[in-house]
Amino acid sequence: MNDIGEFALLLALATTIYGIVSYVMAFRSNRVDLYLSADKTPIIVWACVMVSSIALWRAFMTDDFSLQYVWAYSNIDLDVFYKFSSFWGGQKGSLLFWTLILTTYMMVVHVQNRKQNLRLVPIALAVMMVITLFFLVLLNFSTNPFERIPVPPADGRGLNPILQNYWMVIHPPTLYLGYVGFTVPFAFASAALLTKNLDDGWIRLTRKWTLVSWFFLCMGNLFGAQWAYVELGWGGYWAWDPVENAAFMPLIIATAYLHSVMIQEKKDMMKVWNMSLVLLTFVMTIFGTFITRSGLIQSVHTFDEATLGYYFLAFLGVIIAFAVTMILIRLPLLKSKNELDSFLSRESSFLLNNLVLLGIAFATFWGTIFPIVSEAFRGVKITVGPPFYNQVNVPIGMVLLALIGIGPVIAWRKATWSNLKKNFTKPVAAAAIGAVLLFPFVPLTDRSEIFTYITFVLCIFVTTSMTIEFMKGTGARMQAHGESPITALSGLVWKNKNRYGGYIVHLGMVMIFAGIAGSQSYTIDVEKNLKIGDRFQLGSYDFIYEKLLVKEQNSTKTRVIAQLGIERDGQRVWTGMPEKEFYKGQNQPVTEVDLISTLKEDVYMILADFNPETSDATIKVKILPMVKWMWLGGCVIAFGTMIALWPDRLEVRRRTERLKRQEAIFMPAQE
Amino acid sequence: MKPMRIPMILIAALLLCAGPSVVFAATLMADLENALMCKCDDKCGKVLINCTCDTSKETRKALMSKLESGLTFDQIVKQYVDKYGETVLSAPSKSGFNLLAWITPFAALVIGGFGVRQVIHSWARPASANSDSKEDDPQEAAPEAGKYSKRLKDELDRLES
Repeated sequence: MNDIGEFALLLALATTIYGIVSYVMAFRSNRVDLYLSADKTPIIVWACVMVSSIALWRAFMTDDFSLQYVWAYSNIDLDVFYKFSSFWGGQKGSLLFWTLILTTYMMVVHVQNRKQNLRLVPIALAVMMVITLFFLVLLNFSTNPFERIPVPPADGRGLNPILQNYWMVIHPPTLYLGYVGFTVPFAFASAALLTKNLDDGWIRLTRKWTLVSWFFLCMGNLFGAQWAYVELGWGGYWAWDPVENAAFMPLIIATAYLHSVMIQEKKDMMKVWNMSLVLLTFVMTIFGTFITRSGLIQSVHTFDEATLGYYFLAFLGVIIAFAVTMILIRLPLLKSKNELDSFLSRESSFLLNNLVLLGIAFATFWGTIFPIVSEAFRGVKITVGPPFYNQVNVPIGMVLLALIGIGPVIAWRKATWSNLKKNFTKPVAAAAIGAVLLFPFVPLTDRSEIFTYITFVLCIFVTTSMTIEFMKGTGARMQAHGESPITALSGLVWKNKNRYGGYIVHLGMVMIFAGIAGSQSYTIDVEKNLKIGDRFQLGSYDFIYEKLLVKEQNSTKTRVIAQLGIERDGQRVWTGMPEKEFYKGQNQPVTEVDLISTLKEDVYMILADFNPETSDATIKVKILPMVKWMWLGGCVIAFGTMIALWPDRLEVRRRTERLKRQEAIFMPAQE
Repeated sequence: MKPMRIPMILIAALLLCAGPSVVFAATLMADLENALMCKCDDKCGKVLINCTCDTSKETRKALMSKLESGLTFDQIVKQYVDKYGETVLSAPSKSGFNLLAWITPFAALVIGGFGVRQVIHSWARPASANSDSKEDDPQEAAPEAGKYSKRLKDELDRLES
């Protein structure tokens, strides 16, 4: 099976090359035979990569340690669940997994557009194949997951213990679905540039792809935060690590695009800008992969060897050169009639939103590369850690939060003062009342707490402005159709999925902002050295250290668990079981925290240290307010995105009509 | 005075005296943990406050004893920079070349802001092109514009808002 897997990769490479050549030639010469031939290649390439992936999964499941990759990332005692996820535990498998997702997307694009959009699709598929080719070259000639060990060992080295967590099974695939998904808008944008079809056809085709990719990247980031929170044992969820930044930047730029593209759709403006944002988003995904795979910048995510830096740097260079050149060449065709009725309009607020989003993306990029800049100019590679990002991005983020409340309620074209007064009086009043009510209850002793206070007030402002939007629409429907409030609300959302789905996403973002603000500023913690029976108090909780348990889970893993009785108002509410896991052959034990999670706060318990002879233990407890709001905010974002993505019957009908009218480029040849 | 009250008053007095310094030391400690990176052999790349490895525990103990010996935040940080170099700092210092790290994002934002302002300015229709240039409020302009143009504008606003 390994031979088949390896051969399938080679076959995929050869087919990809054929596909690129035949798509381009078919397009240039308008030859239908070549097009029909090329048209089979996306499916063949996908099938080959799938066979190769199945072969690698099989090797993991059957403990085939003749493969160096399986030996390095698995062992006999590893749970089946983690054997499955070991596939993307290292560089080689990650790249194969990336290629699998990329070719799957390519196949979906191919199937979706078999008989439509022929002005763009062949070239878009050719572009996707060029990107696939890059990964297949790496897999075949530089980092082959089917590399053998001459004498297979009896057991493997095992998966890095901190990757043995259920979030690590979900987080990387979700992130990859987002990362790789941005290839589709990039491919269509490139096709539009190459074929000079620069109307908004490519935007219509890729809007949902962008949204899907954005959604996965957003969820991937949140899942990663969950993993860090429950697995790393420091009570945080985001450390502004270069690899985290690499996933954050395309998300932010794609968010800017999703907003500015509305201006192009409504007013046929900002074509150059939107094209640049799509290309930049993809560039940032490759930049992120470059950071992860080069080892150039020190990262906590460096779980294995990083040897592909130069390949990715070269690829990045080619993509940037292509994007810049194409935009410059097509600049005359991208010119649009940019006209604004007023400074005070939703269009202007979107421009401001784009400025702020790109400001955050740039600050993050600058912080990520500054160690390299510093090394180049001074010979000193300094560290740029969380204090930098928090000081720079938090104020900009607060402006963004305010814009979330302003943008959707300000009128398109021209907002008059009376219109502004009508739309903003209630949200501003609610924010003012919230500010007064919160003032006695929140401490304001340092900058962080002041920022948190302002964030809470802004959250009230945004929530009120969003709620009023829903209420206005619902009220109008109730009046017009005599519907009940629930029917009117659901009808409102259903008839305007994009708009109200977007508003729900905004509400999810507000929850995330509130969760971050609350948990960053008002955390309390204590660390205690305890003997069995000792008690201590933190917040409204009493903790009793009851016993130390040692469990041999299997031949490679031993668990040491501290049992804590947790009482509130004299009532036992929880038995805490923070633990340390010791893996054979690993220097550092892995911390497994225990949590009581409520909307108000999380009680976060860590076994920091212990003495196996005396059973004394060092327990660290943190009470982090509002962390759950972040995860719930993620669920709200997911719900909102689902609504926005739900197929619209009207849109489907329009598309069918458009398809009927469309002049297929190969029609004359077929005739 | 009841005998129990004396120790209680003493404890309260002690807490009043010691409390602020304990809180101050804890704050200083947290600031130090935020300012320094963990320098373990595994090169974990974490800020000390976020690190859970054995080296970080030792570093915390050392920091605490330095604080207790009366060293200030700046003196302790300087000691660590002298020992490990600038890489031990979790963020660039706000002086010399490193100031560039802090200024550039905001400078970019300001330049971008001017750019956006210019763009909006160049895209905005000249005042004469706007039918209601005389008065911003359409309600006041309405008598001149006529009831149909006002109705059309209201409908458009409702449709697009």
